[in-house]
Amino acid sequence: MEELILNLKKQIIEVLNLEEIKPEDIDENAPLFGEGLALDSIDALELIVLMEKNYGIKIKDPNEGKEIFKSVRVMAEYIEQHRTK
Amino acid sequence: MVVKIADNILSPLGVTTAENYQALKSGKSALRLHDCRGAVTQPFYASIIDEDKLRVGESYTKFERMCIQSVETALAQTDLDAASDRVLFILSTTKGNVHRIGTEESPLLGDSAKVVAGYFGNTVPPMVVSNACISGVCAQIAAMRALELGLYDYVVVVGADVQSDFIITGFQSLKALSDEACKPFDAHRKGLNLGEAAATIIYTKSDKAPEARWNMVCGAVRNDANHISGPSRTGEGSWLVLRDVMRHLDIDELAFVNAHGTATLYNDEMESIAISRAGLADIPVNSLKGYYGHTMGAAGIVETLISMNAVDDNTVLATRNYEQLGVSHALQVSNRNGSTEKKAFIKLISGFGGCNAAAGFRRIDK
Amino acid sequence: MINNWVRIKSGYGPSVEEIYKDRIGSYAKFYKMDPLSRLGFVASELLLDAEGSRDREWGETRGVVLMNATSSLADDRNYQRTIVGDDAFPSPSLFVYTLPNVVTGEIAIRNRYYGETNFFVLPGADPEQMSKVIEMSFCDDKLQSLLTGWIDCEDEEHYDALMFIANRTVCGRRAELAEEIAALFEKEIKY
Repeated sequence: MEELILNLKKQIIEVLNLEEIKPEDIDENAPLFGEGLALDSIDALELIVLMEKNYGIKIKDPNEGKEIFKSVRVMAEYIEQHRTK
Repeated sequence: MVVKIADNILSPLGVTTAENYQALKSGKSALRLHDCRGAVTQPFYASIIDEDKLRVGESYTKFERMCIQSVETALAQTDLDAASDRVLFILSTTKGNVHRIGTEESPLLGDSAKVVAGYFGNTVPPMVVSNACISGVCAQIAAMRALELGLYDYVVVVGADVQSDFIITGFQSLKALSDEACKPFDAHRKGLNLGEAAATIIYTKSDKAPEARWNMVCGAVRNDANHISGPSRTGEGSWLVLRDVMRHLDIDELAFVNAHGTATLYNDEMESIAISRAGLADIPVNSLKGYYGHTMGAAGIVETLISMNAVDDNTVLATRNYEQLGVSHALQVSNRNGSTEKKAFIKLISGFGGCNAAAGFRRIDK
Repeated sequence: MINNWVRIKSGYGPSVEEIYKDRIGSYAKFYKMDPLSRLGFVASELLLDAEGSRDREWGETRGVVLMNATSSLADDRNYQRTIVGDDAFPSPSLFVYTLPNVVTGEIAIRNRYYGETNFFVLPGADPEQMSKVIEMSFCDDKLQSLLTGWIDCEDEEHYDALMFIANRTVCGRRAELAEEIAALFEKEIKY
């Protein structure tokens, strides 16, 4: 799980172009959206792409994403349960 | 005073403005479910022009053929010499020949504009307005200004977009498309549909066309300064453009506001706030997206022309597929054709990049 | 008529990203932008520093109207690469920048400009045609000043931005304005 969390942080930084952020700057238990990383609706859509591309998880409804993208840890737990690759 | 002297709409519903208007009045829609193709891996609802029905030479791209046929049909209504250096061509498009990216042929919009103007022998450097979804209204505003400043005597405004794999996959990635025919302003709306059309409107000043019946009265463009792809939650820019055009129009002369009404959750909600904030909540509001989908670079021109025809016919067209109000501010949206004696309307539109435009049009009765 | 202007061109001086790091910084959104928006954003920031009117609330009185020949070609190519092949994943964050006018929105957002934003694609950088577009923009009677100019970005190695502030003094002086624009294109790089 800890390895998955670290990989996920690296992937998020890469796909969302968080140039000045390092994996250790992201608290896996903190809310991903809202304050902190200043992510927006386009970032949420890009995370949906990340889930499908890297883990084979299809998210059809962006509203579903809201629950899954609560924090990096919630995301990682979801991936553990649902990944197909 | 800037007036319209000729026009055309080319769409799956017809090859003249009159055919298009009659199709809408009788409730026809061009929206169909289309299968996956090329890079498009999910089926999609859209209104697509059958290329076999286009008249102009096959050496041109579909985009250019649509533009040329539309302009040619409009020009045939006038005795205008389109090759004159007093005639400016303004092309309104978002993506033009974008399918050419990755090939040896030019995808540049300026090159397409030269092909279209050049077809009619016109060598004046053309302008392309590429201001996202509001391009069609911005192009008309640009035409009005070019005429008022005396830069040209006639402006041919032509708007078009082709629904390439590029655009369809993009809107799918934004999760913005509805998997059924779109429902503007409705409580159960799920997103937009894409559409194809080309439309032309030729403007001049009234001293050159005393018989003209439609006056483009005013137009304004404002930014939300909020987000590049999400509409403002306060309807800021849209409210500002409505407020601006209302300086030149009387509320009592308005037949309707023809809204953008894409049927995305946020756009329609934003427009309801803006229209209500501008004090226009009692004026009938309609959206034409349920007939055509979102025709992008053509939308502002198609919807202006249909609205002119509706006023000519004393009609407020129905918002197709609308059943139950699904926006926070009560608007007078109708799902059936209504009647009106009023002679003016507002075309309202919004787009990515936070841009919003409105234009006011008035019928001249002699 | 043009007092404040900026010229950034590929092959001369530091890259757009280097200018951002040296002179601007602290706008994380820069890294999410496509090459055209990055170029326009950096040019506008330098221009506004030169103008020295950051504190003013411009509201509807300032607009952003930019022009180029290649539209959003750099980002169009980047997005296109995400839709081809068997294992394609179209990128929403690249797609939203496949419209040239998004850069005008980025500048409006950064500076809270509510005035007109518009984008014209022209066959080439023709100062006469550019001066027409600028004078047309001032037909909006609320507009007092305009961030405008040429901003072309074919790809990350080929770009050219000449951005300047025009005000209502240009109205009715189109020929002079065209001459000034032509002269600026001839001058050295300034950023």
